[in-house]
Amino acid sequence: MHMKPLTKQTLTNVCAQMASHTWTEEELDELVEPKLGIITGFQELLDELETLRQIDLGTTPPALTVQKR
Amino acid sequence: MPEELSFLDVQSLKRLLDTGKITPSELVETFADRIARFNDLSHAFITVTDKSATGDAARLTTKDLARSPFAGIPFASKDLFDVEGVLTTAGSRVFHDRVASEDAFTIRQLRAAGALSMGKTNLHEFAYGATGENDVYGTCVNAYDPTRLAGGSSSGSAAAVAFGLVPAALGTDTGGSVRAPAALNGLVGLKPTIGRVPTTGVVPYCWTLDHVGLITRTIADCADLLGIVAGFDPCDPASSNHPVDNYAEHLGGGIKGLRVGIPANFYYERTDPEILEAVERVKSHLSEHGAQLRPVTFPDMEHSRTISLTVQMPEALSAHSAFLQERGELYGKDFRAGLALGQCLLAEHYVRARRFIEMYRQQTNALFEDVDVILTPATPEIAQKLGTVKTMRDGVEEAIGNAITRFTTFFNMTGHPALTMPCGMHSDGLPVALQLVGRYFEESTILRVGHFIERNEKFAIPLPKIDGGAG
Repeated sequence: MHMKPLTKQTLTNVCAQMASHTWTEEELDELVEPKLGIITGFQELLDELETLRQIDLGTTPPALTVQKR
Repeated sequence: MPEELSFLDVQSLKRLLDTGKITPSELVETFADRIARFNDLSHAFITVTDKSATGDAARLTTKDLARSPFAGIPFASKDLFDVEGVLTTAGSRVFHDRVASEDAFTIRQLRAAGALSMGKTNLHEFAYGATGENDVYGTCVNAYDPTRLAGGSSSGSAAAVAFGLVPAALGTDTGGSVRAPAALNGLVGLKPTIGRVPTTGVVPYCWTLDHVGLITRTIADCADLLGIVAGFDPCDPASSNHPVDNYAEHLGGGIKGLRVGIPANFYYERTDPEILEAVERVKSHLSEHGAQLRPVTFPDMEHSRTISLTVQMPEALSAHSAFLQERGELYGKDFRAGLALGQCLLAEHYVRARRFIEMYRQQTNALFEDVDVILTPATPEIAQKLGTVKTMRDGVEEAIGNAITRFTTFFNMTGHPALTMPCGMHSDGLPVALQLVGRYFEESTILRVGHFIERNEKFAIPLPKIDGGAG
């Protein structure tokens, strides 16, 4: 399924309707249309995550501690 | 006290202490004077604890001075490490009143070894960023050119050593935050194997990727420091009880027959040509002395930063949950924006990113079946001017924070030990550096190779010219 672009309204609803900290309008704006340049645009991040979702990781578990080999 | 003491490595200072040519109290005084002179320029320290260091120094007996290679030696720690009775600000207004009730594991180890805590160093707020810019405590500058960045997030720890304010410092490294500023300032930076040095008592940013890191002038000092702070702490769930090596013991060994992996992809791309030339000279040097250079191909790195970010931000949000509730208005804007991003990721995104990390670990371990170490440039760019937002290389624009840590971030995910060290000077008068990566818990190997490189004068770099003169 092709993802639709993220809108501020979606984030506003998520933050209002699910357990969440309180975020300002400006902060939600930053996610939809970044101006500070510090973080990757949220939409681009979601697009990349969607690409990653389609990669088959088989039975690979989440990373835990490491051991000497 | 002669000014040049400030730029001696720990082993040289230790020889002066051991032969009675200087006392620990005099060393503390020397470095305290230096901090007083240069902290306004460098912005390296947030809190200076020279008075308690003076008291500790006065109590050290001759027998105490034999305790360790750091007995009687002043050091500093990034202001994420708890030091009993001292503020841990994390470089933020949020922690303006957070006084530590006990020492972090590493501080405890260093104190038990007779080392003297001179204070807490500056950083990017909560270690969120690689430029070291800090609105509250000032932005650390580069010792080789104060119009340029020191790099971060352990900006103050690197600046403190580079400006000769202490001979060694602790930092933290979640994506290169020790290795990158060390590289930009002509110092040695080590991120040990994940779990090798406990993070107990260090303000967390991202539990999965956080490592304690070391910044020193020389490889030998780094080996000695690692021998003190490495260990097992049951209070840290990531801590390993793998036996701690005698790192200093391995330094004299040669490199004949050593298999050095040279990445065929990613690590030699979009990089300042002078940095590549410097690393090429090191490759030739290693080859001439019996090392075998072998190409290695890393897994697809295209999404590695996304994966790192997808783990970082939800963990940072979780770590800051209580403080956001109580004093959310005290956070810097950029960090809050990052936390908001963490809020809006899905649980499956996070778990999937952790699974990718496991895959990266397996793929990187497979590379180490054919090689003993991997050699890369430390950073693709030299230290950039203060205020730089983006870099441009080969027609590709990149956020400066991403550029600074482009070659270091991956090894926080895989957890392999990685060391950066200077290997020459750029024509702009700034240090260039390489990175050595080793197998899990084989810090001895990368330190040995680093020491071999360091011993050759053609890779030595001059001291910074601070206040007009050398040093």
